[in-house]
Amino acid sequence: MHISEGILSAPVLITGAALTAAVVGYSLKKMEYKEVPKVAILSSVFFVASLIHVPVGPSSVHLILNGIIGVLLGWSAFPAILVALVLQGVLFQFGGITTLGVNTFNMALPAIICFYLFNRGVRSENNFIALMLAFVCGFLAVLLSGIMVAAALVFTREPFMQVAKLVLIAHLPVMILEGVLTVFCIGFLRKVRPEILNV
Amino acid sequence: MKNKPYLILIFIFLIIIMMDVSVFAHKVNIFAYVEGDKVCTESYFNDGKKCIDSKIEVFDNQGNILLEGLTDEEGMFSFEIPSEDVIDGDLKVVLTASMGHRAEYIIRADELRDVAELIEEKLEEAVTVLSPEVSSFDLKEIRSLIEDALDEKLKPIMGEMREIKKSQEDRISPTEIIGSIGYIIGIFGIIAYFLSRKR
Repeated sequence: MHISEGILSAPVLITGAALTAAVVGYSLKKMEYKEVPKVAILSSVFFVASLIHVPVGPSSVHLILNGIIGVLLGWSAFPAILVALVLQGVLFQFGGITTLGVNTFNMALPAIICFYLFNRGVRSENNFIALMLAFVCGFLAVLLSGIMVAAALVFTREPFMQVAKLVLIAHLPVMILEGVLTVFCIGFLRKVRPEILNV
Repeated sequence: MKNKPYLILIFIFLIIIMMDVSVFAHKVNIFAYVEGDKVCTESYFNDGKKCIDSKIEVFDNQGNILLEGLTDEEGMFSFEIPSEDVIDGDLKVVLTASMGHRAEYIIRADELRDVAELIEEKLEEAVTVLSPEVSSFDLKEIRSLIEDALDEKLKPIMGEMREIKKSQEDRISPTEIIGSIGYIIGIFGIIAYFLSRKR
């Protein structure tokens, strides 16, 4: 999911950076003081999750966990993911500094979409419905990210459908894995700390 | 503290992940070396998976493209060193793998040239000392014999060097990961500080 340096054209990079800067600014303004530790913890979770690899076909993919991060953080997912990506870029050369904006946007926008779609659902009284929705949430977040990566790559030489197919096939196992992980996380939080789900 | 055992479990889980983590990372690498009159390149994701059918492009130091090709199923691609009048200076090998991954490797000019020239110089010196009557044909024969012998002798050493270089490039140490989590907490500490002043 991390697009490397030197692949995207300048307009795509600038658009990504501008959009990310705008949303990060907005969400920092909106962020509440007591929320900050939660954002920090989930930022660390995202950082570590990207280091866990799932080898698939000719490529290799990793956990993203943007579904659960989105449901728990809402708009604060943007600064959380941005900070983690900066460190991954600087220390491990994942992605790159110029592609930071695009990469953050690709992974954090689906998080926010999941927040609006599922935040109410995972707090549902019915345990089964809540956990089903948690699975869909984890699954969908990765799916959307994959589509966005393919869209960002459209402006390079690779044709959209081909890239989209490749990205989606490669990430199918990750989608399922993340769906299951999201179910466990939400199930655990519902039992132990239900108030954390109220954003 | 009702949920203390859970916290300990999560902590243990995190530590297990970190121990394993040095093998994992997410980017592609390309590695190139000179073997005889050929340049061999090796491409791999840095969880060790080979990049199959990925595009390799070779540029001179002016940024002109010299040649391109695809990697085989071992992630290898090799090409003959372009003649001296085509290039003067370093060669840049660029790998473009699927899904927006890209890496490059620079082969230094002295790496491309020196070995061959050095042998020639030494040889001429040696021959003039030993017997001045050797014909140019013999000289050629002797040179190729020496080159072959050297290649054979140096092969294991070069292989080892490559491994060392590779592992230096890929290693992600637990220290870095723990340090990064520290950074994340620090960054959000600063955010929390400013948020607390705002109130």
